[in-house]
Amino acid sequence: MKVDLKHILLPFVGFVLGLFVLMLLVYFYNSMPIFHREGLDIYLKNVWKAPEEPSREHYGVLAAIWGSIYTSVIAILITLPLSLAYSVFVVDYAPKRIKTWLIILSDVMAGLPTIIYGIWGVFVLVPLLKKIVMQPLHDHLSFLPLFSYPPITGFSYLSAGILLGIMVTPFASAIIREAYQMIPFTYREAIYSLGATRLEATKILLGYVKPAIYSGIILAFGRAIGETAAVSLVIGNTFNLSLALFAPGYTISSLIANQFGNAFIYEYMTSALFAAGLVLFAIGLVVNLAGIYLLRRWEANVRL
Amino acid sequence: MSGYNVRKLKEKLFLFLIGALTVLMFFPLFHIIYSVFKNGIHVILNRGATFITGTLSDGGIGPAIIGTFILVFLASLIGLPVAFLVGIYAYEYPESTLGKATKSLLQIMLEFPTILVGVFVMQILVVPMGTYSALAGALALAIIMMPYVAVYTHEAMRQIPFAYREAAFSLGLTRVKAVFRVLVPMAKRGILTGVLIGIAKVAGETAPLLFTVGGSYQTYQIGITKPVGAIPLLIYTLIQSPAKEYHEMAWGASLILLLIFLGIFIPVRLSLREVKL
Repeated sequence: MKVDLKHILLPFVGFVLGLFVLMLLVYFYNSMPIFHREGLDIYLKNVWKAPEEPSREHYGVLAAIWGSIYTSVIAILITLPLSLAYSVFVVDYAPKRIKTWLIILSDVMAGLPTIIYGIWGVFVLVPLLKKIVMQPLHDHLSFLPLFSYPPITGFSYLSAGILLGIMVTPFASAIIREAYQMIPFTYREAIYSLGATRLEATKILLGYVKPAIYSGIILAFGRAIGETAAVSLVIGNTFNLSLALFAPGYTISSLIANQFGNAFIYEYMTSALFAAGLVLFAIGLVVNLAGIYLLRRWEANVRL
Repeated sequence: MSGYNVRKLKEKLFLFLIGALTVLMFFPLFHIIYSVFKNGIHVILNRGATFITGTLSDGGIGPAIIGTFILVFLASLIGLPVAFLVGIYAYEYPESTLGKATKSLLQIMLEFPTILVGVFVMQILVVPMGTYSALAGALALAIIMMPYVAVYTHEAMRQIPFAYREAAFSLGLTRVKAVFRVLVPMAKRGILTGVLIGIAKVAGETAPLLFTVGGSYQTYQIGITKPVGAIPLLIYTLIQSPAKEYHEMAWGASLILLLIFLGIFIPVRLSLREVKL
């Protein structure tokens, strides 16, 4: 009897697709009780009341959503200049041996267990930032809302954002570098033959890979927003809704990491956390699809 | 003439800037490795073999090391076959709707927040079973490992020149035999790379284990339905405790984890030109 390859493979493909759909359903199903109770307020308010009587429980995860977005934006602000400089340096100026090593190092950075970034963040980065960045800025510029919060512990949006920026830079770098490398050599020849300086040439060439840069930054944002272990160690875990960089806060992932373990004691807390997870799910899906779509379109353009 | 000098000056500044920013990008990596070695090495040297084999009350992280190995082994057992076959499907039927959907799904899973996987597995496995277990942790890790292995399998198969495919079919082989007897053996190096990258990745994961494995550091428990520990999870727990000696142990455990990661990752990375993480 002839066995069709498709029939062997389909159950496994179905299993993986099914698992993903089941995951989405589990999040929806478990979010339902809190939607019935709080409506959209679960996403629009910053409250976290967890008393023993279920009738007085109230939840709104706006602070966590804000924290996730705020820290991830700080992260990509750090990632953008670093990954651009790295890509240009590696492709255009680094000697071949150094180039190979720089790429390997970047991969090591991308794969390094996140908890190692976490322990370094807690014991090295945060005290350092507190001493040389936060305290001076707060002392001299505390009239600005950004710097108004006194950096008591150092655990803050800024610390989390910087740590995330360090962690996601290699991901953006890999995408931008690959795209930058694919620019046909004739373009460079043409630009330099017009008498452009290296700065001017690089500006034009980077313009050519703009979609890949957007894609790299979007995917880095996606990584940053989903990161858990390292962030929940340095964010401070406080329900804050503030622009102040030195204030402690929460992110969606750190909220889940901190509260989910004992949430079953309360009637609605588990559901509130699933609703928070659902937002993360949606953001992760949209951000990644957008990044992948941009990258594919750019690749299709280059191949033509 | 002065316009030209300004341009030259800007160029010099630009070259300096990209060099400096590249150095800045890698500075944290070196500082992390330096810090982990500096803070971790004396803990390990002080306690000697006890640190590797002892339980937490003895001042060791033995159960966590064993736990990580059990978890990675079980996750591979669950995840590898599925991921391999899904990768083959994405390669064999790239133009079909399901094939395209599969490729997109793999890309999404590659970037997906890992904490969400952990919470999901808790809900479908830990809650019904009524206990944390190695099995639940392994399933969560398997889900995270799958896209790496599948994407690498897909890429490795795509590297094979089309002529080999034609040759296999011209011998009268069925599609099943052509794929599994001819093409897969040709791509085995690339597939193996994917397997190792996947293993290196999940060995260091913390978030998916938070609500699945339970964390057991005082005794050695063997059994897939029992709670186990894991090195990354142990580090996470130790950092959050106020005790200074626990912080020291966390550094020691970090050094062990770093060595395990580099031990797998560096040889794999050196043996090939590009990796996708």
